[in-house]
Amino acid sequence: MSDVAIVGVGCVGFKSIMPELSYKELMFEAAVKAYEDAGGIDPRKDVDAFVTCAEDYWEGFSIFDEFVPDQLGAVLGHLFTVSGDGLLGLANAYMLIKTGHFDVVVVEAHSKASDILTFYDIVAFALDPIMVRPLGGNPYYIAGMEMHRYLAETGTTLEQCAEVVVKNKRNALANPYAAYGADITVDQVLDSETWFYPLKKLEVSPLSDGCIVMVLASERMAKKLTDKPVWVEGVGWATETPNLETRDWCRAIYTEIAADMAYKDAGITCPQREIDFVELSDLFAYKELQHLEALRLCRYGEAGMLLEDGVTTRDGDLPVNVSGGCLGMGYALEASGMQRLLEAVLQLRGEAEGRQIPDAEVGLAHTWRGIPTATGAVAVLSNIKE
Amino acid sequence: MSLEKITDPRRMRHWLGHMETDYRYTLGIAGERFLNEIKENARIMGARCKRCGVIYVPPKMYCEECFEKLEEWIDLGTRGEVYTYTIAYVDMDGNRLAEPVIYALITFGDAYGGLIHKLGEVKPEEVWIGMPVEAVFKPPQERKGSITDIKYFKPAQ
Ligand SMILES: [Zn+2]
Repeated sequence: MSDVAIVGVGCVGFKSIMPELSYKELMFEAAVKAYEDAGGIDPRKDVDAFVTCAEDYWEGFSIFDEFVPDQLGAVLGHLFTVSGDGLLGLANAYMLIKTGHFDVVVVEAHSKASDILTFYDIVAFALDPIMVRPLGGNPYYIAGMEMHRYLAETGTTLEQCAEVVVKNKRNALANPYAAYGADITVDQVLDSETWFYPLKKLEVSPLSDGCIVMVLASERMAKKLTDKPVWVEGVGWATETPNLETRDWCRAIYTEIAADMAYKDAGITCPQREIDFVELSDLFAYKELQHLEALRLCRYGEAGMLLEDGVTTRDGDLPVNVSGGCLGMGYALEASGMQRLLEAVLQLRGEAEGRQIPDAEVGLAHTWRGIPTATGAVAVLSNIKE
Repeated sequence: MSLEKITDPRRMRHWLGHMETDYRYTLGIAGERFLNEIKENARIMGARCKRCGVIYVPPKMYCEECFEKLEEWIDLGTRGEVYTYTIAYVDMDGNRLAEPVIYALITFGDAYGGLIHKLGEVKPEEVWIGMPVEAVFKPPQERKGSITDIKYFKPAQ
């Protein structure tokens, strides 16, 4: 089976609102950049398959997959849409290439969240219609409930959660693709409005608009298209359970299972030693800590201390969310995982400019599909060919 | 990209759309019996797996572990315990609620799962994880076979 490399990336955004571009133009602009970056490929003849990632309700369309080929240069081509995060799109593209039948596959995910006028209503529509939805209210209360139990069980503190926001928003200042960079203090986070006790307003990632397109290639084609391939060493994904009542409210089980799958695929036996940096879902500040533990990069309940010790800052031993994460780049719906992946690719190519991690060789990108899901995905990437 | 500087996004051309979607969600055998017990008898029921012994609440038709059909129903009483809770201060649009709403996951003894519901007759600062609570039902004539036939859970005496 061929190894699989990311050979081109294109990003437009991320901004709190991009009213000048339609979602199709957003995709077009990101695609043009990605094709140029992949050695100037022509999507009309050089791409074997396209995978887009979108959810009908985010888009305001029924059967949205019919609306994606033209802006990617994929008309008359082989295309399908994954109703999930961009990292699931990556996993699909990776598998297509692994079959040996496809050499060049394009993955796309975007967010035009600013077009959604009733965001929380759509999230509420994802709750069980019989047991949970009739209770009403803003569905992000589920994050407040989970954070509360997680803190109670692990002893993680409110200050540690607030520190995640401070770190990631500061990291975002050095990322031109980030919408919400800021230099703030722990006290400012703790003094921000309580939304869902103990969850504060500033601990919730604000929405952003943008699009990311990536070009993946088999080893044979990768060598022709780029001199800086980033190898996809392993992918994993998992869903715990859709039932709020029976899921684990402390541990991110879906991430543990997804990580184990990706580590096995990548041949990683000691993630703490083998992974140089991490991009993960910090949709809510406490989720960064919970996910770091689930990725087995520290023990359960110890991520807060790791953060306090400076291990996860940009110049620490295990930098986490140097991009700014979702808190800094903005929550980009199904493009969230692609944000994490983009940063991993740029770091591994040595193109992360002012936020470059020196000597980075192995990076991890992780995503979570947000409230009310228990679904996550993981990709392990490297700039060294095994 | 746009050729002119944009100073007011509301002046960008757009089209307002509205998706009206109405559904009739089927309760199913387990859901119907569960809600009917609440409506008729003010009882919270669980369903027990005869293979692994796990009691599901809310009850299901099948065990997610063994894939066994669940046919044994067990009365769990009306008392439970707060497993976790949150105090919601904002509404669907992110605006401040006039009165905060307390949401909790209530567990019932050894049963697997629980109920997501609201807490009432208690001040937010008086709630704690592990607090014993009991269901407050609407009067029989107002009950419709909905999870909201339970008005809320209140601190147990
Ligand atoms: Zn069973």
